[in-house]
Amino acid sequence: MEKTNVKRKSSEIDETEVKENANKKVDVTVKEKIEENKETSKKTISEEEKKEEHYVHDVYEAIAPHFSDTRYKPWPVVDKFLNELNTGLIGIDVGCGNGKYLGINKNVYIIGSDRCSNLIKICKERGYESLVADNLYLPYRSEVFDFAISIAVIHHFTTPERRRDAIEEILRVLKKGSKVLIFVWAFEQERKKFNEQDVLIPWHIPKKKYLNNKSLNKKDYTESEKSEHLVKYERYYHLFKKGELDDLVDQIKIGKVVETGYDRDNWYVVAERI
Amino acid sequence: MRLITHNMLQCHVKGCNKDNFPLKLEEIEIEELEAEFNADFIKSMLNRLDWKALAQTTFSLGIAQLPEEMPEELNDEMLQQLHHILLEVDITSGRMVCQGCNHVYPIRDGIPNMLLTESEV
Repeated sequence: MEKTNVKRKSSEIDETEVKENANKKVDVTVKEKIEENKETSKKTISEEEKKEEHYVHDVYEAIAPHFSDTRYKPWPVVDKFLNELNTGLIGIDVGCGNGKYLGINKNVYIIGSDRCSNLIKICKERGYESLVADNLYLPYRSEVFDFAISIAVIHHFTTPERRRDAIEEILRVLKKGSKVLIFVWAFEQERKKFNEQDVLIPWHIPKKKYLNNKSLNKKDYTESEKSEHLVKYERYYHLFKKGELDDLVDQIKIGKVVETGYDRDNWYVVAERI
Repeated sequence: MRLITHNMLQCHVKGCNKDNFPLKLEEIEIEELEAEFNADFIKSMLNRLDWKALAQTTFSLGIAQLPEEMPEELNDEMLQQLHHILLEVDITSGRMVCQGCNHVYPIRDGIPNMLLTESEV
Protein backbone atom coordinates (compact mmCIF):
# COMPACT_ATOMS: atom_id res chain seq x y z
CA MET A 1 0.00 0.00 0.00
CA GLU A 2 2.71 2.36 1.05
CA LYS A 3 4.62 1.77 -2.13
CA THR A 4 1.65 2.33 -4.42
CA ASN A 5 0.95 5.63 -2.72
CA VAL A 6 4.51 6.78 -3.19
CA LYS A 7 4.35 5.84 -6.84
CA ARG A 8 1.11 7.69 -7.40
CA LYS A 9 2.62 10.73 -5.81
CA SER A 10 5.65 10.72 -8.07
CA SER A 11 3.55 10.41 -11.21
CA GLU A 12 1.43 13.34 -10.06
CA ILE A 13 4.56 15.39 -9.65
CA ASP A 14 5.69 14.39 -13.13
CA GLU A 15 2.45 15.65 -14.60
CA THR A 16 2.61 19.00 -12.84
CA GLU A 17 6.18 19.39 -13.96
CA VAL A 18 5.20 18.72 -17.53
CA LYS A 19 2.36 21.23 -17.32
CA GLU A 20 4.58 23.88 -15.80
CA ASN A 21 7.18 23.29 -18.44
CA ALA A 22 4.57 23.69 -21.13
CA ASN A 23 3.44 26.99 -19.66
CA LYS A 24 6.97 28.27 -19.69
CA LYS A 25 7.19 27.37 -23.38
CA VAL A 26 10.25 25.24 -22.87
CA ASP A 27 12.00 23.77 -25.85
CA VAL A 28 9.70 21.29 -27.55
CA THR A 29 12.31 18.55 -27.63
CA VAL A 30 12.59 18.61 -23.83
CA LYS A 31 8.85 18.18 -23.55
CA GLU A 32 8.90 15.34 -26.01
CA LYS A 33 11.63 13.67 -24.06
CA ILE A 34 9.66 13.85 -20.84
CA GLU A 35 6.63 12.39 -22.57
CA GLU A 36 8.79 9.71 -24.12
CA ASN A 37 10.25 8.78 -20.74
CA LYS A 38 6.78 8.63 -19.26
CA GLU A 39 5.71 6.30 -22.07
CA THR A 40 8.64 3.93 -21.63
CA SER A 41 8.25 3.72 -17.88
CA LYS A 42 4.56 2.98 -18.35
CA LYS A 43 5.25 0.20 -20.82
CA THR A 44 7.73 -1.56 -18.54
CA ILE A 45 5.15 -2.28 -15.85
CA SER A 46 3.53 -5.42 -17.15
CA GLU A 47 0.23 -6.93 -16.10
CA GLU A 48 2.13 -9.67 -14.26
CA GLU A 49 4.09 -7.13 -12.27
CA LYS A 50 0.92 -5.22 -11.42
CA LYS A 51 -0.68 -8.42 -10.17
CA GLU A 52 2.36 -9.29 -8.06
CA GLU A 53 2.52 -5.77 -6.71
CA HIS A 54 -1.13 -5.82 -5.65
CA TYR A 55 -1.50 -9.42 -4.49
CA VAL A 56 1.99 -10.05 -3.14
CA HIS A 57 4.19 -7.00 -2.40
CA ASP A 58 1.50 -4.68 -1.04
CA VAL A 59 -0.05 -7.45 1.04
CA TYR A 60 3.24 -8.42 2.69
CA GLU A 61 4.03 -4.76 3.42
CA ALA A 62 0.69 -4.52 5.19
CA ILE A 63 0.62 -7.84 7.02
CA ALA A 64 4.36 -7.95 7.91
CA PRO A 65 4.11 -7.69 11.74
CA HIS A 66 1.24 -10.18 12.04
CA PHE A 67 2.76 -12.51 9.42
CA SER A 68 6.06 -12.41 11.30
CA ASP A 69 4.40 -13.35 14.60
CA THR A 70 3.14 -16.53 12.95
CA ARG A 71 6.47 -17.54 11.38
CA TYR A 72 8.87 -18.89 13.95
CA LYS A 73 9.10 -22.66 13.56
CA PRO A 74 11.77 -23.79 11.06
CA TRP A 75 10.82 -26.57 8.64
CA PRO A 76 12.95 -29.71 9.27
CA VAL A 77 14.24 -30.08 5.68
CA VAL A 78 15.40 -26.44 5.64
CA ASP A 79 16.88 -26.76 9.12
CA LYS A 80 18.88 -29.82 8.04
CA PHE A 81 20.10 -28.19 4.79
CA LEU A 82 21.44 -25.19 6.73
CA ASN A 83 22.94 -27.11 9.63
CA GLU A 84 24.92 -29.41 7.33
CA LEU A 85 26.89 -26.45 5.91
CA ASN A 86 30.58 -26.14 6.84
CA THR A 87 31.99 -23.28 8.93
CA GLY A 88 32.87 -20.12 7.04
CA LEU A 89 30.60 -20.55 4.03
CA ILE A 90 28.69 -17.61 2.63
CA GLY A 91 25.17 -17.75 1.22
CA ILE A 92 21.83 -16.09 0.68
CA ASP A 93 18.19 -16.45 1.70
CA VAL A 94 16.20 -14.97 -1.19
CA GLY A 95 12.75 -13.93 0.03
CA CYS A 96 13.78 -14.33 3.66
CA GLY A 97 10.56 -12.90 5.14
CA ASN A 98 10.99 -12.20 8.84
CA GLY A 99 14.40 -13.90 8.82
CA LYS A 100 13.40 -17.11 10.54
CA TYR A 101 16.22 -19.02 8.78
CA LEU A 102 18.94 -16.35 9.07
CA GLY A 103 20.06 -17.42 12.54
CA ILE A 104 19.80 -21.22 12.23
CA ASN A 105 23.52 -21.88 11.62
CA LYS A 106 25.80 -19.39 13.38
CA ASN A 107 28.92 -20.77 11.64
CA VAL A 108 27.98 -19.51 8.19
CA TYR A 109 27.46 -15.98 6.87
CA ILE A 110 24.03 -15.54 5.38
CA ILE A 111 22.54 -12.46 3.73
CA GLY A 112 18.76 -12.25 3.67
CA SER A 113 16.83 -10.32 1.05
CA ASP A 114 13.16 -9.63 0.52
CA ARG A 115 11.06 -7.46 -1.77
CA CYS A 116 9.08 -6.31 1.27
CA SER A 117 10.84 -3.58 3.25
CA ASN A 118 8.65 -4.00 6.35
CA LEU A 119 9.77 -7.62 6.67
CA ILE A 120 13.43 -6.61 6.23
CA LYS A 121 12.97 -4.07 9.04
CA ILE A 122 11.99 -6.97 11.28
CA CYS A 123 15.11 -8.93 10.20
CA LYS A 124 17.31 -5.94 10.95
CA GLU A 125 15.73 -5.46 14.38
CA ARG A 126 16.61 -9.08 15.10
CA GLY A 127 20.22 -8.30 14.19
CA TYR A 128 20.30 -10.17 10.88
CA GLU A 129 22.22 -9.08 7.80
CA SER A 130 19.53 -8.22 5.30
CA LEU A 131 18.61 -5.97 2.40
CA VAL A 132 15.68 -5.04 0.15
CA ALA A 133 15.98 -6.58 -3.32
CA ASP A 134 13.93 -8.12 -6.11
CA ASN A 135 14.41 -11.87 -6.68
CA LEU A 136 14.41 -11.29 -10.46
CA TYR A 137 17.29 -8.79 -10.25
CA LEU A 138 19.58 -9.83 -7.42
CA PRO A 139 22.21 -7.20 -6.61
CA TYR A 140 25.07 -9.69 -6.25
CA ARG A 141 28.15 -10.58 -8.30
CA SER A 142 27.93 -13.80 -10.33
CA GLU A 143 29.25 -17.11 -8.98
CA VAL A 144 30.14 -15.94 -5.47
CA PHE A 145 27.92 -17.84 -3.01
CA ASP A 146 28.33 -21.30 -1.48
CA PHE A 147 24.63 -21.94 -0.90
CA ALA A 148 21.16 -20.42 -1.21
CA ILE A 149 17.65 -21.04 0.04
CA SER A 150 14.34 -19.96 -1.50
CA ILE A 151 11.56 -20.89 0.90
CA ALA A 152 7.95 -20.23 -0.09
CA VAL A 153 8.83 -17.53 -2.61
CA ILE A 154 8.73 -18.83 -6.20
CA HIS A 155 4.99 -19.62 -5.91
CA HIS A 156 4.28 -15.87 -5.70
CA PHE A 157 5.42 -15.22 -9.30
CA THR A 158 2.49 -15.16 -11.72
CA THR A 159 3.87 -16.80 -14.90
CA PRO A 160 6.01 -19.89 -15.65
CA GLU A 161 8.63 -17.63 -17.29
CA ARG A 162 8.95 -15.41 -14.21
CA ARG A 163 9.14 -18.44 -11.90
CA ARG A 164 11.91 -19.92 -14.06
CA ASP A 165 13.77 -16.56 -14.27
CA ALA A 166 13.61 -16.16 -10.49
CA ILE A 167 15.29 -19.56 -10.02
CA GLU A 168 17.85 -18.85 -12.75
CA GLU A 169 18.79 -15.56 -11.09
CA ILE A 170 19.56 -17.40 -7.82
CA LEU A 171 21.66 -19.96 -9.73
CA ARG A 172 23.57 -17.14 -11.45
CA VAL A 173 25.06 -15.89 -8.17
CA LEU A 174 25.96 -19.40 -6.90
CA LYS A 175 29.44 -20.84 -7.44
CA LYS A 176 29.59 -23.85 -9.75
CA GLY A 177 28.80 -26.95 -7.69
CA SER A 178 26.89 -24.95 -5.03
CA LYS A 179 23.29 -25.75 -4.22
CA VAL A 180 20.00 -24.01 -3.65
CA LEU A 181 17.08 -25.46 -1.70
CA ILE A 182 13.72 -24.37 -3.13
CA PHE A 183 10.33 -24.87 -1.42
CA VAL A 184 6.98 -24.10 -3.04
CA TRP A 185 3.38 -24.73 -2.04
CA ALA A 186 1.89 -27.93 -3.48
CA PHE A 187 -1.39 -28.32 -5.38
CA GLU A 188 -1.65 -31.79 -3.86
CA GLN A 189 -2.39 -31.14 -0.18
CA GLU A 190 -3.71 -33.43 2.51
CA ARG A 191 -6.20 -31.12 4.19
CA LYS A 192 -7.03 -28.54 1.53
CA LYS A 193 -8.41 -29.34 -1.92
CA PHE A 194 -8.02 -26.82 -4.73
CA ASN A 195 -9.83 -26.58 -8.06
CA GLU A 196 -7.19 -24.55 -9.84
CA GLN A 197 -3.49 -23.83 -9.58
CA ASP A 198 -3.60 -20.02 -9.54
CA VAL A 199 -5.39 -18.89 -6.42
CA LEU A 200 -5.89 -15.99 -4.03
CA ILE A 201 -5.44 -17.04 -0.42
CA PRO A 202 -6.96 -14.83 2.25
CA TRP A 203 -4.98 -13.53 5.22
CA HIS A 204 -6.88 -12.17 8.21
CA ILE A 205 -5.33 -9.74 10.63
CA PRO A 206 -6.77 -9.40 14.14
CA LYS A 207 -7.74 -5.74 14.21
CA LYS A 208 -7.25 -5.05 17.89
CA LYS A 209 -3.65 -6.15 17.98
CA TYR A 210 -2.31 -4.76 14.72
CA LEU A 211 -4.51 -1.96 13.51
CA ASN A 212 -2.61 0.76 15.31
CA ASN A 213 0.60 -0.41 13.74
CA LYS A 214 1.89 2.09 11.22
CA SER A 215 2.78 -0.51 8.63
CA LEU A 216 -0.80 -1.74 8.57
CA ASN A 217 -2.01 1.04 6.39
CA LYS A 218 -4.93 -0.40 4.47
CA LYS A 219 -7.18 2.59 4.03
CA ASP A 220 -10.19 1.23 2.21
CA TYR A 221 -11.75 -0.95 4.88
CA THR A 222 -15.13 -2.30 3.91
CA GLU A 223 -18.10 -1.76 6.21
CA SER A 224 -18.07 -5.39 7.26
CA GLU A 225 -14.37 -5.25 8.03
CA LYS A 226 -14.91 -2.22 10.22
CA SER A 227 -17.55 -3.99 12.21
CA GLU A 228 -15.69 -7.29 12.50
CA HIS A 229 -12.55 -8.11 14.40
CA LEU A 230 -10.50 -9.07 11.38
CA VAL A 231 -9.12 -7.30 8.33
CA LYS A 232 -8.86 -9.41 5.21
CA TYR A 233 -6.06 -9.41 2.63
CA GLU A 234 -5.51 -11.75 -0.30
CA ARG A 235 -2.24 -13.17 -1.49
CA TYR A 236 -1.58 -14.69 -4.94
CA TYR A 237 -0.18 -18.23 -5.10
CA HIS A 238 0.67 -20.56 -7.93
CA LEU A 239 0.20 -24.08 -6.53
CA PHE A 240 2.80 -26.45 -7.97
CA LYS A 241 1.81 -29.88 -9.26
CA LYS A 242 4.09 -32.89 -8.85
CA GLY A 243 7.20 -32.55 -11.05
CA GLU A 244 6.47 -28.95 -12.06
CA LEU A 245 9.28 -27.43 -9.98
CA ASP A 246 11.74 -30.00 -11.35
CA ASP A 247 10.62 -29.13 -14.90
CA LEU A 248 11.35 -25.45 -14.30
CA VAL A 249 14.90 -26.22 -13.15
CA ASP A 250 15.39 -28.54 -16.14
CA GLN A 251 14.69 -25.58 -18.46
CA ILE A 252 17.66 -23.69 -16.98
CA LYS A 253 21.02 -24.35 -18.64
CA ILE A 254 23.07 -23.47 -15.56
CA GLY A 255 21.17 -25.73 -13.15
CA LYS A 256 20.23 -29.36 -12.49
CA VAL A 257 18.02 -31.09 -9.93
CA VAL A 258 19.99 -33.22 -7.46
CA GLU A 259 17.26 -33.95 -4.92
CA THR A 260 13.50 -33.68 -4.95
CA GLY A 261 10.76 -34.28 -2.41
CA TYR A 262 7.46 -33.47 -0.72
CA ASP A 263 7.14 -32.19 2.82
CA ARG A 264 4.06 -30.87 4.65
CA ASP A 265 2.05 -29.61 1.67
CA ASN A 266 5.15 -28.38 -0.18
CA TRP A 267 7.26 -29.61 -3.08
CA TYR A 268 10.97 -29.01 -2.80
CA VAL A 269 14.10 -29.47 -4.89
CA VAL A 270 17.80 -29.07 -4.29
CA ALA A 271 19.28 -27.65 -7.51
CA GLU A 272 22.96 -27.45 -8.27
CA ARG A 273 24.69 -24.66 -10.17
CA ILE A 274 26.49 -26.23 -13.15
CA MET B 1 25.35 -3.60 6.51
CA ARG B 2 28.67 -5.30 7.05
CA LEU B 3 31.59 -5.08 4.63
CA ILE B 4 31.32 -8.79 3.72
CA THR B 5 27.90 -8.00 2.28
CA HIS B 6 29.21 -4.91 0.50
CA ASN B 7 31.93 -7.08 -1.08
CA MET B 8 29.24 -9.25 -2.70
CA LEU B 9 27.11 -6.39 -4.04
CA GLN B 10 27.21 -5.26 -7.64
CA CYS B 11 25.20 -2.72 -9.61
CA HIS B 12 22.47 -4.51 -11.56
CA VAL B 13 21.12 -1.70 -13.73
CA LYS B 14 20.41 -3.13 -17.19
CA GLY B 15 23.41 -2.72 -19.49
CA CYS B 16 25.72 -1.58 -16.69
CA ASN B 17 28.60 -4.03 -16.86
CA LYS B 18 31.69 -1.87 -16.51
CA ASP B 19 33.02 -0.55 -13.17
CA ASN B 20 29.87 -1.92 -11.52
CA PHE B 21 31.87 -3.33 -8.56
CA PRO B 22 32.67 -2.38 -5.85
CA LEU B 23 29.95 0.18 -5.21
CA LYS B 24 31.43 3.37 -3.76
CA LEU B 25 30.31 4.14 -0.22
CA GLU B 26 29.44 7.78 0.39
CA GLU B 27 28.23 9.89 3.30
CA ILE B 28 28.19 6.89 5.53
CA GLU B 29 27.69 6.46 9.25
CA ILE B 30 29.31 3.55 11.03
CA GLU B 31 28.43 1.76 14.24
CA GLU B 32 30.75 -0.68 15.93
CA LEU B 33 29.42 -4.13 16.76
CA GLU B 34 30.92 -6.86 18.87
CA ALA B 35 31.34 -10.30 17.37
CA GLU B 36 32.98 -13.44 18.62
CA PHE B 37 36.38 -14.10 17.03
CA ASN B 38 36.72 -17.30 15.02
CA ALA B 39 39.99 -17.59 13.06
CA ASP B 40 38.75 -20.41 10.81
CA PHE B 41 35.66 -18.44 9.89
CA ILE B 42 37.73 -15.37 8.94
CA LYS B 43 40.24 -17.40 6.91
CA SER B 44 37.43 -19.13 5.04
CA MET B 45 35.66 -15.82 4.43
CA LEU B 46 38.83 -14.23 3.01
CA ASN B 47 39.03 -16.90 0.31
CA ARG B 48 35.53 -15.90 -0.72
CA LEU B 49 35.99 -12.15 -0.85
CA ASP B 50 37.50 -9.91 -3.48
CA TRP B 51 40.57 -8.67 -1.61
CA LYS B 52 41.29 -5.68 -3.87
CA ALA B 53 37.75 -4.37 -3.46
CA LEU B 54 37.97 -4.85 0.31
CA ALA B 55 41.32 -3.01 0.52
CA GLN B 56 39.99 -0.18 -1.66
CA THR B 57 36.81 0.16 0.41
CA THR B 58 38.49 0.06 3.85
CA PHE B 59 41.03 2.66 2.64
CA SER B 60 38.36 5.01 1.30
CA LEU B 61 36.43 4.71 4.57
CA GLY B 62 39.60 5.46 6.50
CA ILE B 63 39.26 2.38 8.70
CA ALA B 64 42.31 0.37 7.57
CA GLN B 65 45.24 0.30 5.18
CA LEU B 66 45.42 -3.25 3.93
CA PRO B 67 48.19 -4.49 1.62
CA GLU B 68 47.28 -4.45 -2.07
CA GLU B 69 47.45 -8.22 -2.35
CA MET B 70 46.20 -10.68 0.24
CA PRO B 71 49.24 -11.78 2.32
CA GLU B 72 50.05 -15.48 1.99
CA GLU B 73 50.57 -15.86 5.73
CA LEU B 74 48.07 -14.23 8.05
CA ASN B 75 49.30 -13.68 11.60
CA ASP B 76 46.99 -13.34 14.59
CA GLU B 77 47.16 -9.58 14.61
CA MET B 78 46.13 -9.43 10.96
CA LEU B 79 43.30 -11.90 11.52
CA GLN B 80 42.01 -9.87 14.47
CA GLN B 81 42.09 -6.73 12.35
CA LEU B 82 40.20 -8.46 9.52
CA HIS B 83 37.71 -9.87 12.00
CA HIS B 84 36.99 -6.32 13.12
CA ILE B 85 36.73 -4.99 9.55
CA LEU B 86 34.47 -7.77 8.34
CA LEU B 87 32.17 -8.43 11.28
CA GLU B 88 32.28 -5.48 13.65
CA VAL B 89 31.91 -2.54 11.29
CA ASP B 90 28.22 -1.89 10.63
CA ILE B 91 27.22 0.74 8.09
CA THR B 92 24.00 2.23 9.40
CA SER B 93 23.34 4.92 6.82
CA GLY B 94 24.69 6.47 3.65
CA ARG B 95 24.62 5.46 0.03
CA MET B 96 26.33 3.24 -2.50
CA VAL B 97 27.14 4.72 -5.88
CA CYS B 98 27.95 2.70 -8.99
CA GLN B 99 31.17 3.96 -10.57
CA GLY B 100 29.97 2.76 -13.96
CA CYS B 101 26.49 4.28 -14.31
CA ASN B 102 26.21 6.51 -11.20
CA HIS B 103 23.14 4.73 -9.92
CA VAL B 104 22.62 5.42 -6.22
CA TYR B 105 21.52 2.74 -3.74
CA PRO B 106 20.55 4.25 -0.38
CA ILE B 107 21.29 2.70 3.03
CA ARG B 108 18.84 3.64 5.77
CA ASP B 109 18.65 2.22 9.30
CA GLY B 110 21.34 -0.25 8.30
CA ILE B 111 19.28 -1.56 5.37
CA PRO B 112 20.50 -1.19 1.77
CA ASN B 113 17.67 -0.68 -0.70
CA MET B 114 18.73 -2.43 -3.89
CA LEU B 115 15.46 -2.03 -5.83
CA LEU B 116 15.62 -0.32 -9.20
CA THR B 117 12.90 1.89 -10.59
CA GLU B 118 10.92 0.19 -13.36
CA SER B 119 12.49 2.14 -16.21
CA GLU B 120 15.95 0.75 -15.45
CA VAL B 121 15.03 -2.90 -15.23
